[in-house]
Amino acid sequence: MRKSHPVRRVVLATAATVSGVVLLLSLKPASDPAAASAAGAAPPATAGAQQAPQGGQQGGAAAGSGTVTGNTVQTQYGAVQVRLTVSGGKITKAEAVQAPKGGVSSQKTALAVPKLNQEAVAAGNANIDAVSGATYTSTGYKQSLQSALDKAKSLPSGSAGTGSAGSGSSGSSGSTSSGSGSAGSGSSGTSGSAGSGQAQTRTVTGKTVQTQYGPVQVRITVSNGKITKADAVQAPAGGLSSQKTALAVPKLNQEAVAAGNAHIDAVSGATYTSTGYKQSLQSALDQAGG
Amino acid sequence: MTTTLAGGRAARRQTMRRIRPRRSPAVPLLLAVWAGAAAVLWLWWHDTPSIADDNGKILNAGRITGLLAGYLMALVVLQMARVPALERRVGSDRVARWHAMSGRYTLCLVAAHVFLTMWGYALQAGKSLGDIVQQTVDSVNQLPDMGKAAVGTGLFVVIGVSSAGGIRRRLPYDAWYHVHLLTYAAVFLTFWHQITTGNDFALEPMAKTFWYGLYGAVTALVVWYRILTPIRLNMRHRMRVEAVIEETPGIVSVLIGGRRLHRMGAEAGQFFRWRFLAPGMRFSSHPYSLSAAPRPDMLRITVKAIGDHSARLRELTPGTRVWAEGPYGAMTAQRRSRGKVLLVAGGVGITPMRALFETLPGAAGDITLLYRANTTQDLALWDELAAIAEERGARLMYAVNSPDGERPDISPENLQRKIPDIERHDVFMCGPPGFAQSVYEALRGAGVPARRIHHESFEM
Repeated sequence: MRKSHPVRRVVLATAATVSGVVLLLSLKPASDPAAASAAGAAPPATAGAQQAPQGGQQGGAAAGSGTVTGNTVQTQYGAVQVRLTVSGGKITKAEAVQAPKGGVSSQKTALAVPKLNQEAVAAGNANIDAVSGATYTSTGYKQSLQSALDKAKSLPSGSAGTGSAGSGSSGSSGSTSSGSGSAGSGSSGTSGSAGSGQAQTRTVTGKTVQTQYGPVQVRITVSNGKITKADAVQAPAGGLSSQKTALAVPKLNQEAVAAGNAHIDAVSGATYTSTGYKQSLQSALDQAGG
Repeated sequence: MTTTLAGGRAARRQTMRRIRPRRSPAVPLLLAVWAGAAAVLWLWWHDTPSIADDNGKILNAGRITGLLAGYLMALVVLQMARVPALERRVGSDRVARWHAMSGRYTLCLVAAHVFLTMWGYALQAGKSLGDIVQQTVDSVNQLPDMGKAAVGTGLFVVIGVSSAGGIRRRLPYDAWYHVHLLTYAAVFLTFWHQITTGNDFALEPMAKTFWYGLYGAVTALVVWYRILTPIRLNMRHRMRVEAVIEETPGIVSVLIGGRRLHRMGAEAGQFFRWRFLAPGMRFSSHPYSLSAAPRPDMLRITVKAIGDHSARLRELTPGTRVWAEGPYGAMTAQRRSRGKVLLVAGGVGITPMRALFETLPGAAGDITLLYRANTTQDLALWDELAAIAEERGARLMYAVNSPDGERPDISPENLQRKIPDIERHDVFMCGPPGFAQSVYEALRGAGVPARRIHHESFEM
C-alpha cells in the first residue's frame, strides 16, 4: 500500500504513450514524394531493395521493366490500389486494381479512375491532379501510385509473369473481400479500353475466388481470340503462402497462355491456389467469350 | 484444534510445516500483458512498410492507438471475469484497481484513436482539422460496421463519465453498476469494425485468428466464471438466511445456512458477493467478508450499516433465499510466510481478522490481534475474540479513543513497545483507507518489510 500519486501516474502514462507512438512513427522510413517521383523512372535504387518481390530476383533483363502493384490505400469510401506496367523505366500503363464502388462511389470511380490513369501515364510520377468531386479516390490513388513507383525503381524484373506474381501477392494482401476484387475488375476493364485503345485486344479480369489461403484473381489479355498474357491480380500472400505463390503463379500463367483454356494442370504443392486460379481463369474466359 | 498443540519449539516447527506461502502470480501475468502489447505493436510494424507524410503519420498513430485499445479492452473485461487465479491469488482488490486503471487508459486510447483516424481521413480528403465532425459523420455512414462502433463508443463515453470520481460518488451504487454492465455491449459493438476496417486484420489472417481467439477466450471466461459458476454454486448449496443478530449498535451479523457449505472451498479472510432475494435488495450484490471460519452448515457475515444496502440487512427475515458468488479474496493464510502473525483491524474491518484470528495455525503467543475502534462499545464481536484468545493463548489488544475523543497514538515506537519482535511478524490488516495508511506507515517505521504487510483495500 505504497502511496499512490494519481497525477504523476497520469503524466507518466501520457508521456510514455505519446513518446512511444512518436518513436514508432519516426522509425518508419518515409518515402519523400518529390525525391521518389524524380527517381520513379530511374534505374534500380538500393534503398527500396527490401521491398522487391521474390520473383523479381529471377529475371536479370531490362532494368525498370515489369508490372508492379502499389499498396492498398484505405480511403473513406473503400480501398484504392494502383497497378503499373513499366517498360524501359517509363509508365506505359496505369490502372486501378481496386477502387471504391457502390452507389455514388461507383459512378465517381467510373468518372475519376480513367482520368487518373491517363494522368499517371502522362506525368510519369505521382504529382497528378486530383479529379474534382472524387477527392478521396484521387488521394488514395496518388498514394498507391507513389508506392507502386517506389516498388518499380527496385524491380529489375525481366518477365511480366514473375513481376505480376509478386505484385499479385501484394495485391491480395490488401483486398479484404471479393467485393473489392470485383470493383477492381470493373475499373480495370474501363482503364484497359481507355489505355490501350486497340479494338481486338481486350483485358478481362476473372472473378475473385476465395481459397483457404486467400483470394485468387486472374487477369488475361485476349488478342484475336487467343490468350496472350495471363497473370494473377490477387494470390495468397504471407509466410509460406508467398513462397508457394511465387512458385506456382508463373507456371500457371504460362500454362494458361499455352493451353488457351482453363484445363491446365495444377502445380503440385499449391493445390488450393491452382484450383482457385483455374476457377478465376474460367470466369475470365467466359467474360472474354461473351 | 490448535489447543491440542503444546507450546514450545516442537509446536512451532509443526506450525511452520503448515505455512506454505504462495507467491502472487501478478508479476508473470503483467509480463504476459506487456508481451501481448509488444506483439500488437509488432503486428503494426510488420504491416507498415513506410509512412509517406504527416497525413500518414496521423493515420498510423490512429492505427497504433486503435490496436492497443482493442487489445487492452479485452484485458479490461478479463480482469472482471472473476477468474479464480486473479480473485484468489492476485487479490480481488488489486485486480479491481488494475481494472480501473487500465479501463481509464483504454478509454483515453479509444478517444485518441477516434480523433487521430478522423483527422487523418479529413486531411486525406483535402479538408482540415475543422471538418473532423463532418468527416466522422461521413465515415460512420460509409464504412462497414462503423455505425455499431459509433454506438459502442458512445456507450464508452457514458460509462467513462459515470465512473469519473465526482460523479461516481454521487451516483447510487446500483445505478453505477448497471451502467457499467453496458461495457459488454460496448465491447461487442466496437469489436466488428476492428476486423472489417482494420488494415492489419485484413492483411494478416493470423492476426485476425488471434484477435478472434483473444476475444473468444475472454467471452468464454466471462460466461463460465460470471454466469455458469455462480449458478452451479447456488444450485448446489441453496443458501438461506438463518438469523440476524445485532452485535453492537449499527453492526449486525447475518447467519447463512445451506448444504455442504464447506465444499465451497472458502477460507478465513475471504469474502463472497451476496445478493439477498428480498424486496428491494435482489438487484444488487455486495461484497462482505466471512466473520467466522466457514462451517459445513453455516456461514456468517458481519456488516456495519454504512449504506442503504447494509442498513437494510437488519430487516432480513429468516428463510430469505441468498445468492452468493465466491469465494474471492487473497488475504488468507496462504499469504503468510512467518510463524508469527499480527492482525490489525479497524472498525468493521474486524470481520476477516476475526476469522483469521480463529483459524491461523500457530502456537500460544504466535498470533496477536490489534483492534482499533472509536469506543469500547464499538468493539463488535469482542466477547468472541476474548474467548478465542483465551482458548489459543493468542494476544488480544484494543485501541480506542480516550474519553475526550483523542485518537490513540499508533506510532512505530508504541508498536515496538507492545510487540517487541514486531519486525519478525507477518501483518494482516483490514480497515478504512486512512487508518490502513497510517498503520502501514507505522509498521514500516517499526521495521516490518513491505512484502510482509498484507492488506486489502477496495479504494480505487
